[in-house]
Amino acid sequence: MTTVDLPVAVPAPVRGARRQQRRPRRLLTFIAEHAIAIAVALMFLAPFVFIALTAVMTNTQALTPDVWPNTWRFDNFVEVFRTAPMLRYLTNSLLYSVLATGFMLLSSIPAAYALARLRWRGRNLAFMAVLVMMMLPPQVTVVPIYVLWARWELTGTLWPLILPNLLGDAFSIFLIRQFLLTIPEEYADAARCDGCSELRVMLQIILPLAKPAIAAAALFMFFLTWNDYFGPLLYTGENANNWTLALGLANFRDLHRVQWNLTMAATLLVMAPVIVLFFFAQKAFVQGVTLTGVKG
Amino acid sequence: MTQLRIPRLAVGLAALSIITAACTATESNSSEPLPAPTATASGTVTFWHFFTGREAEAIKQVVNDFEASHPGVTVKVSSGQDDEKMRQAIAAGKGPDVGLSYSTDIVGNFCSTGAWRDLQPYIDRDQVDLNQLVPVVRAYTEYQGVRCSMPVLADTYGLYYNKKLLADAGYTAPPKTTSELTEMAKKLTRFKANGDIDVIGFMPNLDYYENSPAHWAPHWDAHWFNDDGKSALATDPAWQEMLTWQKQLVDFYTHQKLTKFSAGKGDEFSAANDFERGKVAMMLDGEWRIAFITADKANIDYGTAPFPAADDKSDLYGGGYVSGNITGISKGAKNPEAGWELIKYLTTDTGAIVKLANGIKNVPTTTEALASPDLEVDDNFRTFLDIFAHPGSATSPSTKAGAEYQNLFGTWLVKWQTGRAGDLTAGLEGVAKQIDDSLALAGP
Amino acid sequence: MTTIAPPAVSVPAATRRPARTPAPLRRKRRKHRLFVLALMAPWLLGFCIFFVYPLMATVWFSFTRYNLLSPPEFIGLRNYTFFFTSDPYGLQSVRNTLWLVIFVVPIRILFALLIAQLVIRIKRGGSVFRTIYYLPALAPPVAATLAFCYLFNPATGPVNQALAKLGIGGQPLWFSDPALAKPTLLILSVWGLGDVMVILLAVLLQVPVEQYEAAQLDGANVLQRFRYVTLPFISPVLWFAAVTGVIQMLQFFTQAAVASSVASGVAPVGGGLGERLGYPDNAMLTFPIWLYSKGFASFQLGYACAMAVMLFAVSLAFTVVLLRKSRVFVYGAEEA
Repeated sequence: MTTVDLPVAVPAPVRGARRQQRRPRRLLTFIAEHAIAIAVALMFLAPFVFIALTAVMTNTQALTPDVWPNTWRFDNFVEVFRTAPMLRYLTNSLLYSVLATGFMLLSSIPAAYALARLRWRGRNLAFMAVLVMMMLPPQVTVVPIYVLWARWELTGTLWPLILPNLLGDAFSIFLIRQFLLTIPEEYADAARCDGCSELRVMLQIILPLAKPAIAAAALFMFFLTWNDYFGPLLYTGENANNWTLALGLANFRDLHRVQWNLTMAATLLVMAPVIVLFFFAQKAFVQGVTLTGVKG
Repeated sequence: MTQLRIPRLAVGLAALSIITAACTATESNSSEPLPAPTATASGTVTFWHFFTGREAEAIKQVVNDFEASHPGVTVKVSSGQDDEKMRQAIAAGKGPDVGLSYSTDIVGNFCSTGAWRDLQPYIDRDQVDLNQLVPVVRAYTEYQGVRCSMPVLADTYGLYYNKKLLADAGYTAPPKTTSELTEMAKKLTRFKANGDIDVIGFMPNLDYYENSPAHWAPHWDAHWFNDDGKSALATDPAWQEMLTWQKQLVDFYTHQKLTKFSAGKGDEFSAANDFERGKVAMMLDGEWRIAFITADKANIDYGTAPFPAADDKSDLYGGGYVSGNITGISKGAKNPEAGWELIKYLTTDTGAIVKLANGIKNVPTTTEALASPDLEVDDNFRTFLDIFAHPGSATSPSTKAGAEYQNLFGTWLVKWQTGRAGDLTAGLEGVAKQIDDSLALAGP
Repeated sequence: MTTIAPPAVSVPAATRRPARTPAPLRRKRRKHRLFVLALMAPWLLGFCIFFVYPLMATVWFSFTRYNLLSPPEFIGLRNYTFFFTSDPYGLQSVRNTLWLVIFVVPIRILFALLIAQLVIRIKRGGSVFRTIYYLPALAPPVAATLAFCYLFNPATGPVNQALAKLGIGGQPLWFSDPALAKPTLLILSVWGLGDVMVILLAVLLQVPVEQYEAAQLDGANVLQRFRYVTLPFISPVLWFAAVTGVIQMLQFFTQAAVASSVASGVAPVGGGLGERLGYPDNAMLTFPIWLYSKGFASFQLGYACAMAVMLFAVSLAFTVVLLRKSRVFVYGAEEA
């Protein structure tokens, strides 16, 4: 199980006589590395800075080369809420993300447990199926699924996006399963010896140990649904009352296309919750990412 | 193979077959119920239209009048609903009772698929006289004999010109032929110090604001389809004339500068519109622009005239492209009776038509409304009424695939303007084939 | 594929002691199976309804003409032949998506690797840098794309204005230039490479330091150390990043769609989103976008399904490659 807490591993310097020789060269590489790192960091941060600055400009100034706002129009953020029903979009986004994440946890944790810690015939086949599901582009199955929801009269709402999570989410199952594999069997064995049923082993022994993975999966699901554009576009496109923030933001600029200042303010507002949440849940987040890509 | 797998597979397959059966069996092609023997409208009507802002307000006023004169009927209005959304909703069985589309593009598709109901039974029952509709409008609201829509005001397109910019360059009258247009466009253009276009005489890009092959076609008398239903893009020489003329002007500006100018253009339907800001000296636009200029209090002295005609077809001058808003009743509508009353009101009641026409400055579609003394007509608006009545005016044909043929052409045209489309004739033939194939795929 | 040993006690010895009833064992096993079934049931149901059925239905619909208003009409292979012979947009969309796969995936991974190496070398404050490099990957795609549309607006955006001030000639049209639109999408994707960087960082940290030292003592230079020590160790993760990257590019929709509609500036009156997709000159018309346009803007669902089948075939091929290549990655842990 990897953690990504730094300090980082750096090849230890060679000791002894060579030291004197190496110092100037090491200093040079030190400066070079830091310079490059800072330059790259500036490039990565620059767009954010520009967005933030433009968000507090007047509209006319947003079209000019002036980078620094002449007047600081913090009321732009308020204006955003006046020009588009951002509050409603926010509610919809929250509804979608929270419910989807909750449902996903309900259905995916058991499946991940069964795939990781129980032995049964067909387990590998099932896991392969999970992998294939995970890799499938959604556009492949979008048409029949849309037809299904149309028959069930749920198009125009967010339910087609929320409800399927009651039946498991392949990526989350994968993530949690990878983590569960790493929990030593001794914990479970000890509990079984004490006479615990399988259910109790799962609920009281193993799953509490899997909190990091569960948190990571929940975070991922939340972000995935928060950032989802294609899904809401397809299912709620025709019903503006049910738009999420992603859809609202994309269409915000339609009515006020050249009002870049307001558009950037809205962009900032949509980005903010994600970034804030990330700062609070950094560890779980990074852990989750590594769980997917790095064998535990 | 294993004891656990077989029951599971069986359950899975069973679930599959049940669902598949359930979900594909509900394809009922039941015919729509016939209208009641006598008109009795009551209840709620859902009404979707595409207008926003000021125009949405205007139509709201007319809807209020309808509610006042039809007690017992309430109208639930949704604005900003475009064709795509309507089609999606109707396909999912949640279409509005009455929908209003911004153009005639969907008539072919909606009438043939039944997305909008056949209105003929209602028309016959209430004995609505279709002769009150101007002929071209009557033609573009039906498809292959099925009348699934009624017209709500029409749009005509003409030339808007900035009198001051023209006067500064020494012109007193707008151009009447395309050669004059070219000449004046070049003279009226002003460049910045770095070579970029500051003010453009006439923007020739075919994807800029209202420029499009459909809107330009009547001025060269270009036809989209032959009598056999096949695309005439390659066979009708008018298209080549039109595109050669356009390319000349594009090359004069260079397409890079045009793209840059276009990238900085203002929102078409706001006060930042390039013409309203004085960045364009002459522009093709619809008659609604008059209302927008007034509402936006744009600071320009402008005039309107018919768009120039091709040099060798001067008798076309005075005409233009005609289209219009249309309305219909969705398949599966919950309250078709009340919906029909609303449609009748919007499309045949002279008072309503005139009020709406005055509100959004569109062209009325019934002969009575056109002649009404209550219709506010100033010189600028009169131009468009004249264009509407001109014999050289034309609309674009309806197909089962909607406006796909226009989109196919439009996309190739973007390549054409950048000079990457190669030989004109070969290119047109290619597009014609695509159009023919796409129509074939859409069905007989 | 491994077989799983039956749980608990050995098989009832029907041959040896016929009188012994394995009833308690059977009960236990059945209970176990029921438990597994209970745990897996929701996913199983979801698998049938939202995966197996739609796949079969997509294939079926691809042979029909279907607009949702009337029953599907069987037309055989005409959707497929139309795609390959008369649909310039379809073929263009294939080219566009292929471009993204070929260029974006490797470049992203390369830069992510370089930046991860950089982060490792920064001893103090390394985590700050890591956070900064990761931040853009967090931004919602719509927001990030909108921001880039503003930044790279040819007429009013800061990038071109900076270029003008610096005197660097040629004001590129970025998203409005058919030749530059996809490279601009590439820049957007590289800006958001944080997610790849983080997993590379994690695995790079696992490379045993002793091996580096040993290589250094043997006289290996930086490149050789990378090739013989680092690369073998991180290659499973590189593979993973590559294949998931490809699959991501195959479904690339949001950024291209939003960039198209914003950069085109076409007023969306009445027509809808479908009108503006693909701008400029179909340079940003990816395969999923064209699929969406055909299926849900024009409502030619049968045709969209034909495209979906093609997409499935390609992504399945890549999935199989991933599964084959990383058997150890997938199965290794549980065998331990």
